[in-house]
Amino acid sequence: MATQATFLGSTLLSPKLDSSLRRSNRLKTRAQVDPSDKSVEIMRKFSEQYARKSGTYFCVDKGVTSVVIKGLADHKDSLGAPLCPCRHYDDKAAEVGQGFWNCPCVPMRERKECHCMLFLTPDNDFAGQEQTITLDEIKEATSKL
Amino acid sequence: MAISSSTASLNLTRPIGSVLPSPKFLAVHSLQHRSSPARFRRLAAVIPRRTVTRIEATKQTFNSFDELLEKSDKPVLVDFYATWCGPCQFMVPVLEEVGEKLKDKVQVVKIDTEKYVNIANKYGIQALPTFIIFKDGKPCDRFEGALTANQLIQRVEEALKVAQ
Repeated sequence: MATQATFLGSTLLSPKLDSSLRRSNRLKTRAQVDPSDKSVEIMRKFSEQYARKSGTYFCVDKGVTSVVIKGLADHKDSLGAPLCPCRHYDDKAAEVGQGFWNCPCVPMRERKECHCMLFLTPDNDFAGQEQTITLDEIKEATSKL
Repeated sequence: MAISSSTASLNLTRPIGSVLPSPKFLAVHSLQHRSSPARFRRLAAVIPRRTVTRIEATKQTFNSFDELLEKSDKPVLVDFYATWCGPCQFMVPVLEEVGEKLKDKVQVVKIDTEKYVNIANKYGIQALPTFIIFKDGKPCDRFEGALTANQLIQRVEEALKVAQ
């Protein structure tokens, strides 16, 4: 099976070219649709609420927050539950059934550990000051994905 | 002087993901056909796009990940990522910077774990992003999570030192 890999490490590959390569790869192999607006809105509200409740903050780079929220929405659409988008799974449906990695995942609930960098404790180097994010911010930050 | 210029242009012209002729060959090839320094300088600015089409190396297709590792003449830093993983997207500009700074020491490759599930399974990938440094086709260091360019450079250089 042919493997397509993205090669970096060369000035040849300008950022613009790289993102268009990635975009074209996505279109070719996955016919990927963006998550539904409804799910994005649900996960956005959930993220704001949960950050407040847990005393955690969004990343200084709201792009990270936006991508994760869309990832959660995408899994909610395809699997019925917001499975953590920052993990690789053998069997996603089984994981959803099992529940450990459904957001908010067990490590987050028990130890406030979010490796997606969605919910960051104030002492984290990447933590910002905000617990809110607008739909516009999300759309803008993920427009080039 | 000529040699260092050719090396600089060589790095600029390194095509994406191809089976490459040896660096020396490329350097000699470009020098033979472009004699005047002024033209060479102009060429150096133009080379990235021109050489891509001339060598036809942008297809980036290998028969397997193993072949990619095998054919690389340098250690390979592999980033296992997913489209909707926030920290993975955070690493995109970081990897570009590191790839540029360490272009003589390491080749950076990104693998979409949703596209290449088997490769991700083979290497037991769990958290994303996961970085594995391959030397001589074998993993020699492995770590998870986003880091800054300096942290990543430090980690890569340490791993390459140990391997030697």
